[in-house]
Amino acid sequence: MTGLEARGFPEAAVRERARSGAAAAFPAEDEYGRGLYGAGTAGNRGDELDAVRLVPPVFVPERLEKLIDLGREPGHDDVTLETEIGGFRSELPLYVSAFGSTRAGSSLAVAVSAQAGALGIPMVIGENVVPTSGSRSEADAVRGLTARLLAYTDALPGASGGVVVQQSTEDADAEVWNLVYSAPEAQPLLDSGRLAFELKVGQGAKPGLGGMAIVDSTAATVSTGRYRSADVLRDGRRVLRCATPGTFTEEILRQQIRFMRNNYPRARVWVKLPPGRDVGGAAAVAWAAGADAVTVDGAEGGTGWAPEVALEHLGLPLAECLRRIETGPGCLLVSGRMWEGARVVKALALGARAAGLGRAALLAVDEDAAAGLVRLVSCLRLELQLLVSALGKYSGRALRAEDVWRPGGETVGRIREERDDESVR
Amino acid sequence: MNEYGRDPGEHLRSPVTQAALRIQNRIVTAARECLRDAGFTELLLPVIGPVTDPGGRGSKQVDVDFYGHRYKLMTSAILYKQAALLGFDRIFTVAPNVRLEPPETQGTGRHLVEFHQIDVEAAGASGEEVMAVAESVVRHAVSAVVTEGAADLALLGRDPASFVELLTQPFDRVTHSEAVADLRRFGHAQNPDAELDWEGEALLSGKAGRPFFVTGYPKGARGFYDREDDREPGRLRNFDLIAPEAYGELVSGGEREHDYARIVTRMRETAENPAKYGWYLDLVREGIPASAGFGLGLERLTRYVAGLGAVWQASAFPKLAGVVSP
Repeated sequence: MTGLEARGFPEAAVRERARSGAAAAFPAEDEYGRGLYGAGTAGNRGDELDAVRLVPPVFVPERLEKLIDLGREPGHDDVTLETEIGGFRSELPLYVSAFGSTRAGSSLAVAVSAQAGALGIPMVIGENVVPTSGSRSEADAVRGLTARLLAYTDALPGASGGVVVQQSTEDADAEVWNLVYSAPEAQPLLDSGRLAFELKVGQGAKPGLGGMAIVDSTAATVSTGRYRSADVLRDGRRVLRCATPGTFTEEILRQQIRFMRNNYPRARVWVKLPPGRDVGGAAAVAWAAGADAVTVDGAEGGTGWAPEVALEHLGLPLAECLRRIETGPGCLLVSGRMWEGARVVKALALGARAAGLGRAALLAVDEDAAAGLVRLVSCLRLELQLLVSALGKYSGRALRAEDVWRPGGETVGRIREERDDESVR
Repeated sequence: MNEYGRDPGEHLRSPVTQAALRIQNRIVTAARECLRDAGFTELLLPVIGPVTDPGGRGSKQVDVDFYGHRYKLMTSAILYKQAALLGFDRIFTVAPNVRLEPPETQGTGRHLVEFHQIDVEAAGASGEEVMAVAESVVRHAVSAVVTEGAADLALLGRDPASFVELLTQPFDRVTHSEAVADLRRFGHAQNPDAELDWEGEALLSGKAGRPFFVTGYPKGARGFYDREDDREPGRLRNFDLIAPEAYGELVSGGEREHDYARIVTRMRETAENPAKYGWYLDLVREGIPASAGFGLGLERLTRYVAGLGAVWQASAFPKLAGVVSP
């Protein structure tokens, strides 16, 4: 363990899952036969998405279809979770989202990469990986990035998964995508169609602001004027380095996506949006320009350094983002406080294709660098299968807005009858 | 030789290399004559600078440590060409360029990491005017090779009759949209918002009897400096000259953006950070002339004229993507 902590996040529960795996989906084993359980036991406080309930129907025509298909009553382990995420096949509707560029994110990154690879789920490598860090040279930082690529690739069991490399406005100076596109370490991923580039338009923890990091005041990225810095710590040694959010209009977003498709024809194109008030329109522009996936980070998200006022007051919660985005055939990926199965299933029912693990992945690997994330995901897999089967469905792709209910009666999202799903036909 | 042998001595002693380089020498000499006669001044432009053409299609830039500042080897002379028009109306240069192309370009036969361009820029010129200049340079150069280099063509087995159309008929023009429609008709899935892909370009090139221009590329296909068409937003007032016989692109050019706000906006649309273009944007803000120009790939033109299998055969010391070589 590295002393990593996540204030306001169910850290203890995530660490328990990283130790115990699927067993952590249930109350402690020694309470079995003695304790009485009901709603409220888990004591979740949560946000609007947590308050939403999953509502199984009494009549289950899709279970009948599965029954006919199998010739026996289906169980939760008959639920298929395999899906397609932004051009990649994935074993589960989960991916590892980008971490902030602080030391907390970068020191565990290689262990996260190896476990994400072993799980066959996509992984995003965050912005500022190359230009970050106080004393290391850019060449060292590039080696850090390729170390993650190698750890992930070496652990890949089959044809699933993929690596997504982010680039923000300042990263463009360091040519992160160009570096990766020709890196020998990236060629196996490119050759098997498992490399994507993610244009970072914004993030959940501080929408409208750029990435922030505490760095040595002598860091090259600061002293050469490539980044702004602010002396907020006043210790004479360290400064707050601030990236810019980048300037986007509809046309700038559209053309940047087309430019990515033109320049990197062998890579998939992902776009990460902040939880802005026009997130629905921005997602539509991104899909129309050819983005393979749009990821939206709810205001609950974030692993990096951010001012308290931003964490508390900037941006739409994920539930509202989901309400404002009309997915159609586009692939929508969401993140923000994802760590247990119900929140993931609700996000899928409300239009997302998959959910990103940020802080939960970091904490799990911090708890056990060899298998923490693998155990956390095995617990999530069981919860997803239980919940989806409870809804009378047998594929993660079959979830609909009909599967959720919000206290107060209003449906959280639009009912999306048109979503594709082979298991329903 | 189908593959670069990595032995520079063997390569230089080869009669094929020698004939190709003699043809290249005639091309450069003829191009210089042609451009000087048309009133162009040859300027020697920088090889390193704080910033260079951002390029495209995934090629990397080479960093140079300039006394603690990160400089770049030029990927093209475009920024200096535009700036040089503050002193001269019509300029050209024979410029070395370095682009660390993705490894996948190693076997295309048309990519070199280090190559040369005959780079031309004219203040106040239209796209049509510089297309005429490009056409005349190519015709003049090919004519010089056919008349003075017959022995080299014979040695290489290149039939001079291949150039009859080029020498006697004007070059055709097709728009990018027409090229996309043609390719789709031939069953090739060309992305209408992007550069013509190599396969598509070779397909069109293979059907032509003489070089032809493709005009009006979409914005997402090119850098911030190619001028956007005011009458057709999203479309650029630019062009490529494509060689026949599947040799592909020889020239890229176009009218240039010269308005400060338009350039900054286009930089964002091409995912560039304007801050790093400080010296260039300062000049643009003060005012640079409207212009048009082009860059002619010298090794590519040599390859086409000499009928070579790959562009590295037109270089004395070729460097291919990912191949360690002197």
